[in-house]
Amino acid sequence: MRKGDNKMVEFSPEVIDTVIRAAALLGAGFAMIAGIGPGIGQGYAAGKAVESVARDPEARGNIITTMLLGQAVAESTGIYSLVIAIVLIFTI
Amino acid sequence: MKYINDPNRMQIEIIKKTYIFSIIPIVYALIAGEFETLLGFILGLIISTLLLRLRVLNIERSLDMPEGKAETFIRNRYFIEYLIYFAVLVVAKRNPSLNFLATAVGLFMMKFTVIIWAIFDMAKGGLQNKLKDYKDLKEDKYEKGGQ
Repeated sequence: MRKGDNKMVEFSPEVIDTVIRAAALLGAGFAMIAGIGPGIGQGYAAGKAVESVARDPEARGNIITTMLLGQAVAESTGIYSLVIAIVLIFTI
Repeated sequence: MKYINDPNRMQIEIIKKTYIFSIIPIVYALIAGEFETLLGFILGLIISTLLLRLRVLNIERSLDMPEGKAETFIRNRYFIEYLIYFAVLVVAKRNPSLNFLATAVGLFMMKFTVIIWAIFDMAKGGLQNKLKDYKDLKEDKYEKGGQ
């Protein structure tokens, strides 16, 4: 190749499509990592709730309600990642 | 939040408030004539209501277990719920008569309601405290003026 002769490598459309699809699937896989965190967090919260109920059985109702609200809100980050992963899988 | 000591009453209140908040997007979808959006939203709303009930039952069951077992139990149940969410979203994506984003919003509606409710409660509490402080200050001034 001579100096100044800048030729770009050209790929066929099938190869480009495959690369884009592979990248989208890889992205979906990475997005699903976010689904693990809330599970671990909810489990930890449940363990602590059991400890609290054992310490103060009268506060059971209060603990259940607080845990319910906390878990309902904490779960939303996992669903965000799920939505993004599904969009990546099915749209591209 | 008034019914913080009563989980059953609390879940009824959450569901009631969620449905009240949901009237706005439902009416909008009806007026705009977007029936895919309406169906998707209603599907998401129903599934999120059922999953809330499932979560309450799981939490109540987990509190009677030892600590380590409860952790594992709730973690496993979370992944089962996650699979249900996945199935619902895939169905919404593949079915042309359901809008995917509307289904996702329907699933999120309960979480939005809880957050908005908490913010309202916080604002209400802050306002009531401010009013109480103002009344106390006024009474103090009145008493001092009287002397």
